[in-house]
Amino acid sequence: MAKLNAIQLEVLWNRLLSVCNEQQTTLIRTAFSTIVRESLDLACGAFDTRGYMIAQSATGTPGHINPMATGAIHLLNAYPPETLKPGDVLVTNDPWQTAGQVNDFTVMTPVFRGDKIVAYFANCCHAPDIGGRILSAGAHEVYEEGLRVPITKLFSEGKPNEELFKIIRANVRTPDETVGDLYAQTSCNAVGARSLLQMMDEFGLDTIDPLADEIIARSEHAMREGIRALPDGVYKHEVWSDGFESPLKLVATVTVDGTDMTIDFDGSSPQSARGINVVLNYTRGYASFAVKAAISPEVPHNEGAFRPVKVIAPEGSILNCRPPAAVASRHLVGHFLPGLILGALAPVIPERILAGGADPGWMSVWRATWPKTGKSANFTLFQLGGAGARPTKDGLSTTGFPSGVGGVQAEVIETQAPIVQAYRVMKQDSGGAGEFRGGLGQSTLFSHLGSEKWSVSGMVDRTKFEAQGLFGGKPGAIGEFKLNGEHVPPKTIMWMEPDATIGMEPPGGAGYGEPYKRDPARVLEDVVYGYISIEAAREEYGVVVNFTGDEGALVKLPEQYALDLDATEKLRS
Amino acid sequence: MKQKYRVGADIGGTFTDLIIVDQETGAFSIGKTLTTPRDPSIAVETVLRDVLEQSGISSDEIHNLIHGTTLVTNAMIERKGAQTALMTTEGFRDSIEIGRETRYDLYDLMQEQPKPLVPRYLRFDVPQRTLYDGTSQKPLDEDYVRKLTAELQASGIEAIAVTFLHSFINPADEERVRDIIQEIAPEIRVSISSDVVPEIREFERASTTIANVYVQELVERYLRNLEDRLADLGFAGSFYLMLSSGGIATVDTTVRYPVRLLESGPAAGALAANAYGKLTGNEDLISFDMGGTTAKICVIDKGEPMIAHEFEVDRIYRFAKGSGLPIKLPVIELIEIGTGGGSIARVDALGLLKVGPDSAGADPGPVCYGNGGEDPTVTDANLILGYLDPDYFLGGKMDLMLDKARKIIEEKIAQPLGMSVEEGAWGIHQIANENMANAARVHALERGKDPRRYPMFAFGGAGPVHAYRIAHSLGSPQLLAPLGAGVMSTVGFLTAPLAFDFVRSYPVEFGEIDWAHIGSLFAEMETEGAALLKDSGVAEADINHRRYVDMRYVGQGHEIQVELDGGALSDASAEALQARFEVVYQELYERAGPPVNLEILNWRVVSAGPVPDVSLQVTDTANNTTDATKAIKRTRPAYFPESNGYVDTPIYDRYVMAPGLTFDGPAIVEERESTVIIGPGATCHIDEHYNLVIDMPTAEEA
Repeated sequence: MAKLNAIQLEVLWNRLLSVCNEQQTTLIRTAFSTIVRESLDLACGAFDTRGYMIAQSATGTPGHINPMATGAIHLLNAYPPETLKPGDVLVTNDPWQTAGQVNDFTVMTPVFRGDKIVAYFANCCHAPDIGGRILSAGAHEVYEEGLRVPITKLFSEGKPNEELFKIIRANVRTPDETVGDLYAQTSCNAVGARSLLQMMDEFGLDTIDPLADEIIARSEHAMREGIRALPDGVYKHEVWSDGFESPLKLVATVTVDGTDMTIDFDGSSPQSARGINVVLNYTRGYASFAVKAAISPEVPHNEGAFRPVKVIAPEGSILNCRPPAAVASRHLVGHFLPGLILGALAPVIPERILAGGADPGWMSVWRATWPKTGKSANFTLFQLGGAGARPTKDGLSTTGFPSGVGGVQAEVIETQAPIVQAYRVMKQDSGGAGEFRGGLGQSTLFSHLGSEKWSVSGMVDRTKFEAQGLFGGKPGAIGEFKLNGEHVPPKTIMWMEPDATIGMEPPGGAGYGEPYKRDPARVLEDVVYGYISIEAAREEYGVVVNFTGDEGALVKLPEQYALDLDATEKLRS
Repeated sequence: MKQKYRVGADIGGTFTDLIIVDQETGAFSIGKTLTTPRDPSIAVETVLRDVLEQSGISSDEIHNLIHGTTLVTNAMIERKGAQTALMTTEGFRDSIEIGRETRYDLYDLMQEQPKPLVPRYLRFDVPQRTLYDGTSQKPLDEDYVRKLTAELQASGIEAIAVTFLHSFINPADEERVRDIIQEIAPEIRVSISSDVVPEIREFERASTTIANVYVQELVERYLRNLEDRLADLGFAGSFYLMLSSGGIATVDTTVRYPVRLLESGPAAGALAANAYGKLTGNEDLISFDMGGTTAKICVIDKGEPMIAHEFEVDRIYRFAKGSGLPIKLPVIELIEIGTGGGSIARVDALGLLKVGPDSAGADPGPVCYGNGGEDPTVTDANLILGYLDPDYFLGGKMDLMLDKARKIIEEKIAQPLGMSVEEGAWGIHQIANENMANAARVHALERGKDPRRYPMFAFGGAGPVHAYRIAHSLGSPQLLAPLGAGVMSTVGFLTAPLAFDFVRSYPVEFGEIDWAHIGSLFAEMETEGAALLKDSGVAEADINHRRYVDMRYVGQGHEIQVELDGGALSDASAEALQARFEVVYQELYERAGPPVNLEILNWRVVSAGPVPDVSLQVTDTANNTTDATKAIKRTRPAYFPESNGYVDTPIYDRYVMAPGLTFDGPAIVEERESTVIIGPGATCHIDEHYNLVIDMPTAEEA
C-alpha cells in the first residue's frame, strides 16, 4: 500500500471507528446482563496484526478499554498467530493480564482474510456473576472471588468449547446470563470482522498494518505535542479513599519532560488485605485515560496515546498488587486516579480539567427471592454521583466520571429483582459551591418484597473523604450508605431482614473557583431549581434570596423568588 | 364534482413542497414555496393555490390532502411549546433529569446533558405507588392532586404530563389523575403516559409523554388554522396527517397524540423511496435524502421501511446518541447526519480534513453564494469539482461565485494540506460522502442489513450530487433518481395507508405462553384499530391487521421484532416464531444465539386501511428523445479521480430524456432542483417510469 495521504487516512480511520461502533452496537443488543446493556460497562476495539489497538468504539469505560488494549499482547503471546485458525475465539478473565477482576471477560477474535490473519477484534465486559463469594471487597485472596479462566479458546474453528462452558455454568449463579454474554461478546467481534473485511475489499487493502502505523503515529504525535505544550516540571497531588480497613493514600507525581510524561504512584498505600487492590494494567488504564482526556480529547484513542506516557507504581502497592491479592472491587480505588492526575495538572492546565468529583461509580450486587415463584434474583446496580465543576461550566449532576457507565431505571430494577426503589432524587446542596458548582449527587432508598432475608454488597466509596474543589471551590458532599437509616460500613456482603431498607446516596462533585464569584443570578436559579437551598445560597455563596410566595404552597414559581442584591453585596464584601 | 385528485404537502425547514396527483391517470403537478415559520399554514395555502391555478384543477375536486410537518420537531428544538408541569410517582420527579447517568463522549470533559422540557420547579411528586405487577403499594392521594391542580391552574400552567411508575401495567392512578385535572381545570391539557406510550422504562416514557402535551396546543392551533384555510379555498375532501411511523391519521387523532408528528416529513421521503422501489421492482433499498444542513438515510427491507420504537430529538452534541431527548414511539428508522451542502470543512489539529457537522446554513451560506460566507463548504467544493453549474443553480435563479470558492479552499484547505485546490475540493466531497456512508453502514447494521445488497434511491436538493459516491462506498449495485428528485418526497404522503399502531406489554417465556390470553390481547387491539379505521371512513373489507412480537433470549435487554401470522394461535405459533427469530438473529449478529430460552415482551398490532395505488404519468413528452446525444445540453469539465482529474463531461437535460434512453458515465444530469453526478464506468438508462437508473460499476470496472 502506497503512503496514505491525509484524505485517504481520514476516510479509512473513520471507517475503522465506524466498524468498532458496529461492534459495540452488537454487544449491547445481544448482551444479557444489565451491567453491559443498561450501564454500558464495556469496551470494544480493533487491533493490528501486532496486537496494537488502533480504534475503539465511541463509549464504554476506560477501565475496560485500556486494560483490554494493553492486555491483548498477553493473549497473543499465549496463542501466537500460527496457532490460530478461522473461527477461533480466545477468552480470559485473568485479572493481572486484563481488566483487574475475574468478572471481566476479554474475548479476542482473529480476522482471517484467506489464510492470513489481518487484524484482531476484542471486547471486554463485566459478567453478571462469576461465582465465588459474590462481587464485594470482602475476599482475602483472588481465589475466593470466583472462577478464573486462563487464556483459552472459547470457540475452536467455530465450535463452542463445551468443556469450558460446562465448567463456567457449574460455577456461576447466573449460568444463562454469564454464558449468554460470552456468546454476545463473540457476535460482537464477528460483526466487526465482517465489516473490516468489507472495508479491505472495497479499498483493495491486503493489510491494514500501514494504516495502523499511520494512525498510531499521528495519535502519538498529537499526544506528544499536547505534552510539549505543558511546562516541563514535576507536579504532585494526593487524594484519599475510604479503603477497606483503613483509609488509603493515593499519590501521583507527574513529570513532564519535553514530549514525555511519567506518572509515578510511588508513595501510595501498600496493597490491602482485602479486595480493593488494583493490578498495574488497570492503573495504567485509568492513568492514561486522564492524560488523554485532558491533553488530547479530540484525537480518537488508540495505542499512540499510550506511548508518550509512562506509568509506574511500586510492586506490592495498592496500585500494583501482587497475586494472589483480592482484586474484585479494584474500581473503588482505580476510579480515583483520573481525579488525582487532573489535580496534579491543575496548576498548569487550569482551563482543561475538572474539579474533584464522586469518582468511583457506586456498584451494588443484590440477591433476593421472588415471593410468588421462589426464584432467586441476582442483580447488579450502578449509580453515579456528581462530577466536578469545570473552568467555565457547572459539573454534571448524577453522571459518571471517570467511568463511562450508566444507571438503571426503577422499572428495570423492579422487574429484575424483588426490590422496590422508594425514591431516586438529585440531592440538594450536594454539589460543592464554587464560581462553577459541582454536580449533584443523588439520594436513593430501597426496600424489598417478600418475607425472606435478602443481601446487598455495596461497593461504594467517598463516604469519608469529600471530593476536593479547585481554585477556591468547595468540596462536594460525601456519599452515604445506610441500613435502616443508620450509616453502615460498605464493601462487604450484608444479609438483611425482609423489612430492612438500604439508603444509597452517591456523593457530589466539588466546585471550581470562589463561590463568592458566582453570578448571583445563577445562584438564584439554583435555588429556584432546588439544586441548592436558600440557606446554602446565603452561607456558601453569600447570596441572599427571599421566597415571597406562600410557604405552604406546592407550586413555587421563579417569580416568587427575589434576589436581595444589597444584602448580597454586604455579605460578599 | 368528482373528487379524483390527491394532494401531498411537506413543510420543510426551508421549503414547503406540494404535489397533486390525478388518481385516475397518474398525471401530476408540483410546486415549491418558501416555508412561513410563524404560521406554516400560510405556505401550504399559497403553494396549493399556485398549483391549482397552474393545473386548472378546482379545489373541490380534491379527494384528500395528506400532510407532514417539521412543526413538532422545531417546537421542541426551539422550546416553543406550552408551559408544562409533570406529576409523577413520589420520589421520581428527577428521573427525566437524572436520565441514564452516563456520558455520551468518553473523553470530552466539557460536554453538557440535554435539558428536560419541564424545569425542576414544575415537576411534582404525587403520593401513590404501583408495583411491578400492577398492584398498588400506596393509594393515590386525591386531595393532593386536587390542591396541586388548583395551584397549577392559578399559576397559568397550560399543560400537565402524568407519568407514574409501572402505569403500563396498571394505568388506574394515571387515569384518575387525568379525570381530576379535567374536572378542576378543563382548560389545562393532560397527557398520561399509559395512554401515550404504555411501555417499560420511566425515563423514555415520561420524556415522550411530556413532549406530547408540550406541543399539543401548538399543533391543534396550527391544524385548525389549516383546516380553516382549506375550507376557505373550497376544499371539501378529507384531511390527514402523516405520522412518524409512516401511517396517516385524522386531525382528531393527531391532536390527541401530536408527538407522533415528529419526523413526519422525513418519513414521507422514505415512503416515496419505497413506492419507487416497488414500482421498479426493488423491494429492498436504501433511501438517501440530502438537503442543506442534514442528510437522512433509511433502510427499506422487503418493501417496507424499517420501523424503530425509539429515537431522540434535539441532539445537542454532533448528533451523538444520548445527547438528545428520548422519544419512545414507532418511527420510520432514519438516521440523520450533520452533513449537507452547507457543512463546513476545516483542517484540524492533527492535520486531517474534517467536514461538518457545523453548517453555514442559508445565511451566510456557502462562500460561493457571495453572501459573506468565509468558511469553505461542501457546496463550494462541489462547484470547484464542476458538479454544479454556476449559471444553472436552482434553474438559474441564483449565481454561484466560483472564484470565491476557489480562493477560500486554496487558503483554508489546500495550502495547509499541501495539495492542489482540486484535490482539496475532492477531499471535502469525499469526506462528506464517507461520513454519510459510515452512518448508513452502522445504521444498516443496527437493523441487521447488509448495505451491499441494496440499491440506493437518491433525492432531496443535494442528494443526487453525492449519491453516486456513497452508493459506491456502500457497495450498492444500483442507484436510482426519480424525475423531480428535489420535490419527490411528497409522493410518499400519497402512498401511505391509514394506519394505527397498538402495543400491549405482556412479558412471557416460551413454554409458558397462554395463547388464549394472547388471543384476547390481539382481539382487543384489532377491535380498537378497526373502530378507528371505520370512523375514518375505511370499509370493513379493506381493513387488515398485522401482528408482531418483540422477542429476545430471556435475560437480554434488546428485542428483535418478528411478524406473527394472523389467525388461530397455538404452540405451533411459538415454533414458527422461534424459527423466524433464529434466522434473523444469525443474519444480524453473525452467530447463533446461546442455548437459552426465548421470551416475548410486547405484542403489537398494526391496523391499516388499503394501500393507495400511486403511479405517476409524465404527460408533457413533446420534446422527449431516446437519442442520448440529443439530450446533451453541452459539456463542462468535472472532476473524476478515476480519470486522474477533470474530464469534459456531457451535461444531460433531464426534461427531454425519454424511457429507453441509455448512456454511460461520466455524466451529469441536470434538472431545476437537483443535479445527478455519475462516475466513469457506470451504465445508465431511463426506465419506463422516467427514473434515472444507474448501474454501478463493479470494483474491477471502477
